[in-house]
Amino acid sequence: MSVDQHADHDVIKHRHRSEGPQKHIIVFIFSIILTVIAFATVAAGGVNATFTVILLLIMAILQVFMQLGYWMHLKDKGHLMPILFMIFGFFVAGTAVIMALYWVWW
Amino acid sequence: MTSHAETVNGELPHEPEKATLEGRNKILSFWLFLGGEAVLFGTLFATFLALRNQTNDGPTANELFQLPMTAAATLILLVSSLTSVFAIQAMHKHKVAALRVWLMVTVVLGLGFLGLEIYEFAEYVTAEKFGMTTSAFSSAFYTLVGFHGAHVAFGVLWISVLIGQLYKKGLTVVTAPKVYVSAMYWHFIDVVWVFIFTVVYLLGKVG
Repeated sequence: MSVDQHADHDVIKHRHRSEGPQKHIIVFIFSIILTVIAFATVAAGGVNATFTVILLLIMAILQVFMQLGYWMHLKDKGHLMPILFMIFGFFVAGTAVIMALYWVWW
Repeated sequence: MTSHAETVNGELPHEPEKATLEGRNKILSFWLFLGGEAVLFGTLFATFLALRNQTNDGPTANELFQLPMTAAATLILLVSSLTSVFAIQAMHKHKVAALRVWLMVTVVLGLGFLGLEIYEFAEYVTAEKFGMTTSAFSSAFYTLVGFHGAHVAFGVLWISVLIGQLYKKGLTVVTAPKVYVSAMYWHFIDVVWVFIFTVVYLLGKVG
């Protein structure tokens, strides 16, 4: 087993910084807040339907961006290809969704 | 990047998942896979959106869905995504015991989510008479949400096997990329769930 239990001394030499959990806990709290806003708006009811739909989509997209960026590290350096893969994936997915919404029952 | 000499010396680099070319290639190609998964779920979402009002006199989304249950499932999955972040942070500090514990917590939360979803589906089928063939809406619903549930089930199995491998082989430059990639998969499952609770459940309630 090549586990180094004395990690302290070899970290110093590298340019890597051991990141703390703070940043990820902030993302978690933001995710909770965005989720609560979405659920509360629907649970309260009586809000204009179009406004609710737009609000829900904004909350979802914000949360997805934060989780892709921080939890999956897409915002870190050296992630150009992963970002391109995901953009292409979401582009095809989005095309399918727009087709389904606007053309199927045309 | 970290030199290979350190791994030969038996010292693990700071980010063991990126220490070898094989590890880096695994992560890169897993992103390609996740791009493909985005397309897969995108087409299922498209199908659902096209068919969600075709209820064939069966239950509608508004009659069916209970927000507290969806909120509970959302919270469970969100917390499990955070615990897999903690697992990777423990891995970067080479704390294998902590890594295993966080992975176990993630698996338990994943099982909790699955239990809730199975209970929900069983309730729909028995009490609400909302089966796979009830309506176009029901087929699209079970296909989309069930596919996500199947991903959770696969993730639970996968991470469980990795925990076993960590006991057997420890944390090395070979096992680290596997753990990292499974964490990416788990985050992606949570990302898909964000769209599911928004598009399926909340928009279903709005109408």
